[in-house]
Amino acid sequence: MSRPRAIRLLWVLLMGGGMWLSVTQVVVHSELSDLLPEGTTATQRLLLNQARSGLAGRILLLALEGGNPDELARASGTFSERLRASEHFTLVENGAQDLRPPRRGIVYESRFLLSPKVVPGAFSSDSLRRELEHRLDDLRSPLAPLVKETIPEDPTGEFFAILSTWSGGDRPGKHRSVWLSKDRSKALLLVETKAAGFDADAQAAIQQEIRQTFASLDVQPAHLQLLMTGAGVFAVEAKQTIEREAWRLSTAAAALVLLFLYVSYRSITLVLLSLIPLTAGVMAGMLAVQGWFGFIHGITLGFGITLLGVVDDYPIHLFSHLNARGSAPVVMQEIWPTMRIGVLTTAIGFAALLFAGFPALTQLGLFAVIGILTAAVVTRWVLPVFVPSWFLPRSVSPTLPGKLERLTGLKPVIPASIVLACATLLWSHTPLWETELASLSPVSDAKKQLDGQLREELGAPDVRDLLVIEGQTDENVLQYGEAIEVKLQTLRASGAIGGYDLVSNYLPSRRTQQDRQSHLPEQSVLKRNLDQALKGLPFAPGLFAPFVAAVESARTQVPLERKTFQDTVLGARMASLMFEHEGGWTAVVPLRRVVDRKQLTETVAGWNMPAVAYVDLKEESNALMNAYRDRTFLIVLCGLLAISVVLALGVQSLSALGPVLTPIMSALAVVTAIVNVSGESLSLFHIATFLLVIGLGLDYALFFNRQEGSEEGRSRTLYGLLVCSTTTMLVFGVLAGSSIPVLHAIGTTAAVGSFCCLLFAGIMAKKELHASA
Amino acid sequence: MISGSRLSSLIGGAGFVLVAVAFEASGAAWTVETLVELIKDQRETSVGFEEATYSSLLIQPVMSRGVLRFEPPERLEKIVTTPSRERYVVEGDRVTFESERRGVKHTVSLEDYPALRSFVEAFRSSLTGDLLQLRKVYEVSMDGSRGKWTLLLRPREPSGKAVVDYILLTGSGGRIATIAIRSPDGDRSVMTLLPGAAR
Repeated sequence: MSRPRAIRLLWVLLMGGGMWLSVTQVVVHSELSDLLPEGTTATQRLLLNQARSGLAGRILLLALEGGNPDELARASGTFSERLRASEHFTLVENGAQDLRPPRRGIVYESRFLLSPKVVPGAFSSDSLRRELEHRLDDLRSPLAPLVKETIPEDPTGEFFAILSTWSGGDRPGKHRSVWLSKDRSKALLLVETKAAGFDADAQAAIQQEIRQTFASLDVQPAHLQLLMTGAGVFAVEAKQTIEREAWRLSTAAAALVLLFLYVSYRSITLVLLSLIPLTAGVMAGMLAVQGWFGFIHGITLGFGITLLGVVDDYPIHLFSHLNARGSAPVVMQEIWPTMRIGVLTTAIGFAALLFAGFPALTQLGLFAVIGILTAAVVTRWVLPVFVPSWFLPRSVSPTLPGKLERLTGLKPVIPASIVLACATLLWSHTPLWETELASLSPVSDAKKQLDGQLREELGAPDVRDLLVIEGQTDENVLQYGEAIEVKLQTLRASGAIGGYDLVSNYLPSRRTQQDRQSHLPEQSVLKRNLDQALKGLPFAPGLFAPFVAAVESARTQVPLERKTFQDTVLGARMASLMFEHEGGWTAVVPLRRVVDRKQLTETVAGWNMPAVAYVDLKEESNALMNAYRDRTFLIVLCGLLAISVVLALGVQSLSALGPVLTPIMSALAVVTAIVNVSGESLSLFHIATFLLVIGLGLDYALFFNRQEGSEEGRSRTLYGLLVCSTTTMLVFGVLAGSSIPVLHAIGTTAAVGSFCCLLFAGIMAKKELHASA
Repeated sequence: MISGSRLSSLIGGAGFVLVAVAFEASGAAWTVETLVELIKDQRETSVGFEEATYSSLLIQPVMSRGVLRFEPPERLEKIVTTPSRERYVVEGDRVTFESERRGVKHTVSLEDYPALRSFVEAFRSSLTGDLLQLRKVYEVSMDGSRGKWTLLLRPREPSGKAVVDYILLTGSGGRIATIAIRSPDGDRSVMTLLPGAAR
């Protein structure tokens, strides 16, 4: 068997195996949370953990609209009843809860351990007398039927005292006892899902169920509509957008590239041949990411396809140098040194992303490095043996170099555009750097607007301000929580915060529960006090026997633990407010309506409690994003440095570096300015794409400066370069049209960058061409 | 306040003349419509009351005394003076509750307390002669004669039924004498109105 034949066979086997692996092994994820970094500080990790599975993410806000208030109220009632029957929610609220008799169960049974009113002297005859008089007032009030039932067992009102410590927040107005928006055009509901907000598959199923439940309501007027928002809705939309766009964009990009190749060279053979390195590169990149991460993200895949725009340059270089004189392997051998530097430097640039510490970028980097190297290797050693000996691309108009020479006159364009770019950046009103993490979300503005509106109406603001309490055990954390409760009450009373949600209000520490037990009198003492308190009051004799019995049994009751509440609504709430984290226990205390964040930071610092910290989630997440962006920027600089070193070694002359690096640096300046003028600020994805631009620019500059030795050869080289850059611009132009901010950022940067690199490299390379001619 | 009551007595007086004319014309039929009109015409802006609350938890009723005030069309006030000072003020949709003994003052929305709402509806609509509204919330039936009548109100909605079995008003002419409220578990309160006792 001849060597070419062996290579072909090996190639077919490898591709077959790769294809099989891709189909059977590769797992595509599209949850945005998979792209979030791990975080470098404990607070950041906590924050990211919250973002992934926290309470805020599990709340969905629903609204019904399109009817008069009465119709809306009726629909809200039926709808929420049906939703409560589902197993997927820990909570379904529509405002009507006050109607139902107080929920009994564990809280009622344990009221003497849970009530903040159980303090020393709470069961003295004086205290009891006061409470009993209040119960008489209750019986006279219009609300008697609601409280009467609990009086014999709970005359001291512990149960209602517990309920009143539970955070309610600002709630919307009501009509016929269900929540209605201020303009009375919408009925409002709030549900809490068991599944995490970022679990897009579970969320999609739940939201589907909600829609079906709504559609099956028979009370609704036909024109009633359901609106839904919340982190879960966003997650589902993001996932769907990513999945849809990754495929749509890659199909469009691939089709455009192949079509353009055909139009440029009028040869099906050429198109098919160029597929050989392209498919190999994409497949190798995909398998490498799968092997390392265990999954490949939809965004990485979408980006991977755009690599086509880079690696298709390699076969084009080969084809553009083919002529009647040499066979493909010979030509390949000739141009390989030039191509090799381009390939190596581009790969080095992307390799820098491997150190970004940001899963999204690490995946992109790995995909690119492996994809580029594989495509280059395949172009070098495999592609030539597939090129039929009769194959010759159509000849190119020899006037092309002449036309390009007119670029000479444009030489001042480079300094001019740099000056213009810098001026633009200096006077622009658009901030240079993107600092809002939210702007990277692929969720549409309309959805965000609806979310803001419903949150405002429901008094369920995005959780932004948190106190974080850390301790060794859950008991520690609960005790700290109890210690700051008074301080929080003071803050609320002064209006500095609107409210708070503290886990120890639901579950007091074991110590506090035992304290309360010690305040419960012995049965004989309690009976004596009660008899004295009852003197002259018209209560039926023996009415309070259940109360005496309940106090007696509470004295020896086992204190409540987290486990007691497992699989209950309260348990779910506790789990979201307190959890195990990095070997210790952490409680989060969401704060509502913080007036002055700076002031609050100082106040909390003034408490001198190292276990308690105030965190502004928005600030913190933006800081996190900025830290990664700065790191990426640094990495790009390092990459650029490494590229320069390799380049200097490759061309073995420092003076040759100028014509290669100048166009690239100029192009980066212009790209930055154009991105800014278009109203966008630089995110870390723009920065990461600079590496791509550098890689492309190098490739162009190296080939522009290549000495060809003949007019015809130069024509072919230039034509090849034009084809290369056009395919790149096509692919990234498609990407720039994406509604996913990450892909849009990459697309715009690369498309504009590719154009500038070509233009500037052409202008700079002119003299070299003359010299070689 | 003074001009308000003057105005209302003026309107009341005019209404009375109109009603009297209507009686002449219709042959003095005694219907719910006439009764409600009459109550509206003869109502006083404030009236004293004595209320007895009977409960299965108690061996004798709890007594309380105070004043009811009504400022048309919306403001309703119940002031309890004995055994301790309490005040309920209903204005539109807002209910303010103040208790001296407990040292509390709450403001809640009627929408949050459908039980309270049905009382308020009953008072407001009977005092303003708004029979349409009254019938929306209650089934209304009347018995007796002009000199001694009873007006029975039964809630239509489940939310009302949960806390009120019925409200029974008795009176003579346009004057309400007692208001009895019975809850589904048999507990009840009987309020006796004492005209003139308020000032």
